[in-house]
Amino acid sequence: MSVTRRRALLGLGATAGAAALGGTAHAQTPLQAGFIYVGPVGDFGWSTMHDVGRRRAEEVLGAQLRTVHVESVAVPDMERVVQQLARQGCRIIFTTSFSYFQPTVRVAPTLPNVFFESATGTTTAANLAIYNARFYEGRYVQGVIAAMKSRSKQIGYIASFPVPEVVHAINTVMRGAWTIDPAMRVRVVWVNAWFNPGREADAARALIDQGCDVICQHTDSPAPIQLANERGVFGFGQASDMTRFAPRAHLTSNVNNWGDYYVERCRAVIAGTWRPGDTWGGLASGMIRLAPFTNMTPEEVGRAERVVEEIRSGRLHPFAGPIVRQDGQTVIPAGQTLDDNAIRAQNYFYQGIDVQMPS
Amino acid sequence: MRIVLEKRDDTSAFAAVLSPVIAVLLTLVAGAIMFALMGKDPLAALSTYFLSPLQDWGSIQEIFVAATPIVLIAVGLSLCYLSNNWNIGAEGQLVMGAIFGGFVAIVTHGVPNGPWVFPVMLLAGMLGGALFGLVPAVLKTRFGANEILTSLMLVYVAELLLDWLVRGPWRDPHGFNFPQSVMFEPEALALRLVETGRLHVGALLMLVVVIAGAVVMGRTLKGFEVRLVGEAPRAARFAGFDDKRLTLTVFALSGALAGIAGVLVVSAQIGQLQPTISPGYGFTAIIVAFLGRLNPIGCLVAGLFLALTFIGGENAQIFLRLPLDVTRVFQGFLLFFVLACDTLMLYRIRIEREAAA
Amino acid sequence: MTLLEAIILTVITASTPLLIAALGELVVEKAGVLNLGVEGMMIMGAACGFAVAILTGNTWLGVIGAILAGAVLASVFALLTLGLAANQVASGLALSIFGLGLSGVIGASFVGLQREVMPKLFIPGLSDIPFLGRILFNQDPFVYASLALLAGVWWFLFRTRAGLVLRACGENHTSAHALGYPVLRIRLLAVLFGGACAGLAGAYLSLAYTPFWSPGMTAGRGWIALAIVVFASWLPWRAALGAYLFGGVTILQLHAQGAGLAVPSQFLAALPYLVTIVVLVLIMRARSGASAAPAHLGTPFVPDR
Repeated sequence: MSVTRRRALLGLGATAGAAALGGTAHAQTPLQAGFIYVGPVGDFGWSTMHDVGRRRAEEVLGAQLRTVHVESVAVPDMERVVQQLARQGCRIIFTTSFSYFQPTVRVAPTLPNVFFESATGTTTAANLAIYNARFYEGRYVQGVIAAMKSRSKQIGYIASFPVPEVVHAINTVMRGAWTIDPAMRVRVVWVNAWFNPGREADAARALIDQGCDVICQHTDSPAPIQLANERGVFGFGQASDMTRFAPRAHLTSNVNNWGDYYVERCRAVIAGTWRPGDTWGGLASGMIRLAPFTNMTPEEVGRAERVVEEIRSGRLHPFAGPIVRQDGQTVIPAGQTLDDNAIRAQNYFYQGIDVQMPS
Repeated sequence: MRIVLEKRDDTSAFAAVLSPVIAVLLTLVAGAIMFALMGKDPLAALSTYFLSPLQDWGSIQEIFVAATPIVLIAVGLSLCYLSNNWNIGAEGQLVMGAIFGGFVAIVTHGVPNGPWVFPVMLLAGMLGGALFGLVPAVLKTRFGANEILTSLMLVYVAELLLDWLVRGPWRDPHGFNFPQSVMFEPEALALRLVETGRLHVGALLMLVVVIAGAVVMGRTLKGFEVRLVGEAPRAARFAGFDDKRLTLTVFALSGALAGIAGVLVVSAQIGQLQPTISPGYGFTAIIVAFLGRLNPIGCLVAGLFLALTFIGGENAQIFLRLPLDVTRVFQGFLLFFVLACDTLMLYRIRIEREAAA
Repeated sequence: MTLLEAIILTVITASTPLLIAALGELVVEKAGVLNLGVEGMMIMGAACGFAVAILTGNTWLGVIGAILAGAVLASVFALLTLGLAANQVASGLALSIFGLGLSGVIGASFVGLQREVMPKLFIPGLSDIPFLGRILFNQDPFVYASLALLAGVWWFLFRTRAGLVLRACGENHTSAHALGYPVLRIRLLAVLFGGACAGLAGAYLSLAYTPFWSPGMTAGRGWIALAIVVFASWLPWRAALGAYLFGGVTILQLHAQGAGLAVPSQFLAALPYLVTIVVLVLIMRARSGASAAPAHLGTPFVPDR
């Protein structure tokens, strides 16, 4: 038996022993938490930010937490990795991709003593919680800023795949933009990848050549904003603060902040208070943040900050009615707000967006 | 002074067994040095890579689960490569098989069905893979288009087709518009052989295919034809073998095997269709085919061994915090040494002094 | 700048790394060796080139570093396949895996850094000519290198004796050896050249195309380059056609999407691959079927006494 495994088993035994004694003392042995990433830790995007969150949890919880992570795990292999992590003594496992969700649903009941956290999952179970961030809140603000900065009135959107998350993000960007100028338009290129720097750069070139002067990206690499910098237009980073890649072009970024959530959930396991939940945090809870505003005038910054504050306080909801589809159908009238499930499933564009929904 | 390779008159069985053993030993040494340089305990690292996957029954099952698609495809590829048909597109044929098999699962979803579903899925997968494998074969026989390019390009086409299907027509209507098909019903999932693990009927299929392949290659006229066409095409033609028909046959066969592998992956390991279903099994199978010296039994051994190292690499990430890239480097070493040591089998190495001028 | 001009410029950028890597592999295959490790050598070039450029602060040194990295990796391949007569297909695939992993290890400390984009050539007067000026005289050095490489490879293979000998090694290594040519040494030089080109192509990606390093950033371009060599029937100018065709369709489909074309994006994304197949078939029909592969491509050469 390998040394680490023996240690892990001893650890579990010690914890059980401590609990049996009434748990007066804090468990001396640390909680083992496992993280499964769909991409490389160094992709500087989605998986990187989850890893940043993991390290933050280690930082905050110190000796109480020990984490393990496995990167670039293909979907067919995920169940195997989960089993191995569980065998290693992990009591909470974070599966950080939507494509892992169904395999997680299947494996969770077979390991009833392990808690599962599925990022961007859709339903919960006895030992399965889901979590996500309201990226669209950041997108709304991006739309407001884009409309203020754009001279050609065209936003270029580098989209990954036509999934609801991306579709409602595009809708929300335009919603925000239209509050400043109803004449704003958007052009979308689907690069069919979450991460492909070369293709993202090519997509950015195509959009800029077609007249867009603010670039939004739903892909993970710094390539689009770097190109925006090169071409002298503006752009928004993605998942992390990308100012240093584009000092002249960078306006702000959606910054994924999973660390606080990870700390909270690990603490809950340690304290024995973990419950399955559906956490969809936004600007208010800090699960997403906006990178510091750069390359903006003080008035523009002030305007953007006011919008952020309105969203945070709940006074402004990016999905408040009226919402009208491209085909003219009204989804909800003024006064109502789209509920979470409807937002999650949104697969239509708003009226005013001239982009065809790829079938 | 230089190294001279002298072809052996016959390959001794002793050398055939010795060469992979030496290769593994050399890899252990090289790996130990690499891990030591990285500040990790070499012995712990090596035992993690090679021994940890064998430590419990569940893990051993996983080796078979992981090896199944690779070995199935490799057997088919062996036939192709022996007859000089360079099928590089097994990955695409796998995807196509998964599409066809998945279609069966999707149309029978929610409808009363029975244990016939899974075998029909397998047949559909075979059909899909075979048809897709025939495309580069036909382009080769009719137009002389090089199959390396056509089969490789078609991989991307197959992947994009799957992507479109899963985001569009085959999207789960109750899946919040996420790109995934419905979850396959139990009848559409590969039968598990054991209660406490993921070993499934695909492993049996793999063994059957390996044995059948060995019999065909070693004992039948077809096997002889395959080897003759590859080694001496003109002689084969004189003997009356039609190399064009053989091309179509081996591509269809390897495509069918890849298709089965695809169905097994989606039904045993994923449980639905998703935009991406394979981490490159079709390409790994190419390596396995050559490591196995294009021999079905060899493919089985090589496939199991490679699966062992993949799982060992995962464990290395978990137990030792070794990044995935280090695993890839280590696997590269392993492959290099195995390939180099195979030379021992075919050639005798002599050090020769340069004759004085 | 008109849209057409912009599209042409983008196509040139997208096609250049493909062309450079394809030309290198073309020479290798003409000499009779099949090196499937182009992806591994390319990404090593990208990682090492970027690393050297960051550490030294000099982009040109980075380029040299990339070329050396590609050549070093190629030499491992050469040792296996030429020195030890190992199977070339498997060795090349192993090289790809190895290169991918090693590039990740080397590049790990350089994630999240970036460099200034490589400066483009600027000739006062010439570069300002509308349309042609920008396309011809305002490119970055890699583009000019790719064109020089194209001319050089063609001239070497078809207009020099050395090139003839190299092609002979690929067509029939036994006869070439019988004539007294050092087949293995020629193949070694070809393999190193191929590695250098792949490394150079990788340097383009991480120093000019998107000047930062990220794992796996070659995204399969090495495989496309291999396909282009086949598409080109091992002729240099046809390799250029293939590279620009592939790059062109890739860029055009992005533009089509941006312009709002209502075709599924997956179909548009599949176009470059489909077009390549169709064009190849048409070419093969035109020359009525004879394959142009070097006859001894992929077979190891072991000199008999």
